[in-house]
Amino acid sequence: MRKKPTRKRSDRYRLFRIVLLAGLLMTLALIFLVSTLGSQSFGPLHKLVLEAVGPLQKVVTMGGSYVETFKSEYIDILQDSLRLREENKRLIQQLQENENILNKSREAMATNASLRRLLEFKNTLDQQQVVATTIVGKDPSTMFRSVIIDRGSNSGVMKGNPVVNNDGVVGQVFIVTPNYAKVLLAIAPSSAIDVLLQKSRVRGILKGDGTLTYRLEYILKTAEVEEGDHVVTAGYGGVFPTGLQVGVVAKIIKKPRGMFHEIEVTPSVDYQKLENLLILQQPKLGEIKQMEQR
Amino acid sequence: MVVFHFIIVGLLLVILQTTICMPTPVWLPAPDFYYILVSYLAFRLDLLRGLIILFPLVCALDAVSGTILGMYALLCFSGFVLLRQLSAKLPVNEILYQILMAGVSYLIVSWGVYLFLELLQPGQQVSWSWWKMIARAVLVTVCSYPLFFLFDVIQKYSHHSFLHWNRLRLRSDNRRRRQA
Repeated sequence: MRKKPTRKRSDRYRLFRIVLLAGLLMTLALIFLVSTLGSQSFGPLHKLVLEAVGPLQKVVTMGGSYVETFKSEYIDILQDSLRLREENKRLIQQLQENENILNKSREAMATNASLRRLLEFKNTLDQQQVVATTIVGKDPSTMFRSVIIDRGSNSGVMKGNPVVNNDGVVGQVFIVTPNYAKVLLAIAPSSAIDVLLQKSRVRGILKGDGTLTYRLEYILKTAEVEEGDHVVTAGYGGVFPTGLQVGVVAKIIKKPRGMFHEIEVTPSVDYQKLENLLILQQPKLGEIKQMEQR
Repeated sequence: MVVFHFIIVGLLLVILQTTICMPTPVWLPAPDFYYILVSYLAFRLDLLRGLIILFPLVCALDAVSGTILGMYALLCFSGFVLLRQLSAKLPVNEILYQILMAGVSYLIVSWGVYLFLELLQPGQQVSWSWWKMIARAVLVTVCSYPLFFLFDVIQKYSHHSFLHWNRLRLRSDNRRRRQA
């Protein structure tokens, strides 16, 4: 029974305090508002607030920029890496395609240049019937030197026809089928060609030895031969036309014994790069063969 | 089917050897695939089937290579007979010994054929060079190992033919009735 008036009194006192505090705050707010609006000056309070908020703003801004940087450096990169991988694949494929095209283009240009040289050479052969051909196979044996070409009797190729390219004599046809022929290269040991030393007009026989040099035989020691002399076909027998380039004298071995020089000749033809050839058709070759058979 | 498959393989090897493996006419490191096939036939197939496969192979080789017809026939048949005799006499028939024998026999047979041709037509072939031929024999030995495995695979699959003749055999539809 005694406690009731005490509670009532304290409730009133609390209400009074709240009203007093609210009044005080509102008064202060009013004073602050009036003073701020009236003077329009950035007072100490504003400065204090700014000093307090500034670091917070700074931290938040830095944090934001850090998050942004992290996103751009890692998360975006992860997203971009997938896109880049696809892009990379596409570019590699495109590069390969372009390289293929470039290779084809280079090959076409090289073939074009080779055929152009061959055509120029063909134009120098006066009224000589020629058949252009390509090598399709090479002799893998270590004992022989021959190649297979893609022209045969259907193109008018006959056994014994000389085979040349723009650099000079390559060999001679020795087996003919309707669409293909076998050519005995001039570097083969079984090959023998009548030749002349272009300067001194001395005649000899050019033989192969299986390597990339010829041997010039039956040149008398009395004959004038010098290193660098050009060797050309003699044209005897009617198989090879006269004056076709064969090679250059590379070495003269003078021995005290014997009647003849031993001469090494460097071929004018590069046998390592044989590709396109010309077969010289000899109209008189058939007659020669018939005469030989008689 | 084994014979047919090996004839095709032999022809493909000859084509490979005369085209891709020979970039220039004087190219030395060209492996003689045909001789590896000859060795394999001598070691792994019976005489009759080996000879049947060899005939078209030597014919193709003589057509695309060399100036003396029959040279490859001499080389391949000599090698075939020599290796068959060796494999019959030797107690060990492991693959490593076989490929070594293939290389050595290649050198011996090539030398024999060279001497024979020199006797018949002197000066018509490139002079014998031991180091070049040893290099070729080593190439034959090196290439023998993978090619023997390839030939084994071909032989294995040749036995499992695509066309089983017993599947094509006609059967009556009332076998059960007949049994009953």
